[in-house]
Amino acid sequence: MRILVFIPAWNEEAAVGGVIADVRRSIPGADVLVVDDGSIDATAERAREAGALVASLPFNQGLGAALQTGYLYGLRNGYDVCAHLDADGQHPAEEVARLLAEVKAGRADLVIGSRYHSGAVAASGDYKASFSRRIGISVFRFFLTLATRQRFTDTTSGMRAANRRVMALFSQHYSPDFAEIESLQLAVRQGLRVEELPVRMLERVGGTSFLTPLRSAFFIFKGLVVLLVGQFRPRHAEAEQ
Amino acid sequence: MSLVLAAEAGQVHLTSQTRIVAAILAIFFMFMILELIRRDSLQERYSVIWFVAGLGMLAGAAFPGLLEVVADLMGVRNTNVALFSLVLLLLLGLALNFSVIMSRQAAEITRLAQERAIEQAAAEVRNGSAPSGEQALQAEKQGLEG
Repeated sequence: MRILVFIPAWNEEAAVGGVIADVRRSIPGADVLVVDDGSIDATAERAREAGALVASLPFNQGLGAALQTGYLYGLRNGYDVCAHLDADGQHPAEEVARLLAEVKAGRADLVIGSRYHSGAVAASGDYKASFSRRIGISVFRFFLTLATRQRFTDTTSGMRAANRRVMALFSQHYSPDFAEIESLQLAVRQGLRVEELPVRMLERVGGTSFLTPLRSAFFIFKGLVVLLVGQFRPRHAEAEQ
Repeated sequence: MSLVLAAEAGQVHLTSQTRIVAAILAIFFMFMILELIRRDSLQERYSVIWFVAGLGMLAGAAFPGLLEVVADLMGVRNTNVALFSLVLLLLLGLALNFSVIMSRQAAEITRLAQERAIEQAAAEVRNGSAPSGEQALQAEKQGLEG
């Protein structure tokens, strides 16, 4: 069984090497692909030094397009399962391995690593969210649950594992603006089995979150519009095969 | 004062002066479109709508009765209001049209960038210039031992 682990990275030269080393330690059989989203620093060089394959987008296209690149690469090159995690070091690779195990066992098509799932809090209290982030999280949690009739706790998690059905769907349909949330809605609407698994995540090492209260409000508003429109989208044939 | 009177009189007619100015503008406008196409600054498929707009302007100037018919159809007493409403609607439609074209092109550019990135990564694998996970692991172990 061929496994692809891809890491979308935008100007993460400081952290990306450590993340790749972590993945190679915890998931030894996997090929590691870094999707360099138009970085202007040495992200691609650091990634190659750490032994990863690099796919460089010629200009910054945003997280959604970078993730889609990973799914497309996995689909084209015949990988059976794939997973992705953030490049900033918040996601321990051993947790990603647990997500992959779920997909490999055929228990789900798409598995999301959740920071807020009841089991995750008990596992550790490493991750603490800011106030405005917590509001956004609960709003999205509520509306996504309403839209999909399935309980989701961590709608914006960037740690996921998926099989080929998901790769086929996401490589064709993946919203560039609201990738995390809309993709969940899309996958459930297509009849894929989506599952959450409680995981341990770490506090962000460097850098600050981009969320200010005003931005959060705009982010939430945009997300709600996207979710509403998503309810009226047609179903696609890709995921059925 | 005269404006109010004119409005109360019902229809406002275009003077011959405005008709001449409008006709000249319309012709000048269409020549500009032609010139842009000739210089490859504008593609033919995006120019059709502008020629239609230019011809509409010319028709309005040549047959002012046309505008009054349109105003009647819209149930507007003042032909100026009808004219402005029409132009506003046209511009709104054009702006929406451009948003649609822009979205399509943004999606195409993204896909192009993704294809290039994937092709490049695949080429690295073929040439063997990219270390596979196994090789890198071996190299690291040797480095640790040595």
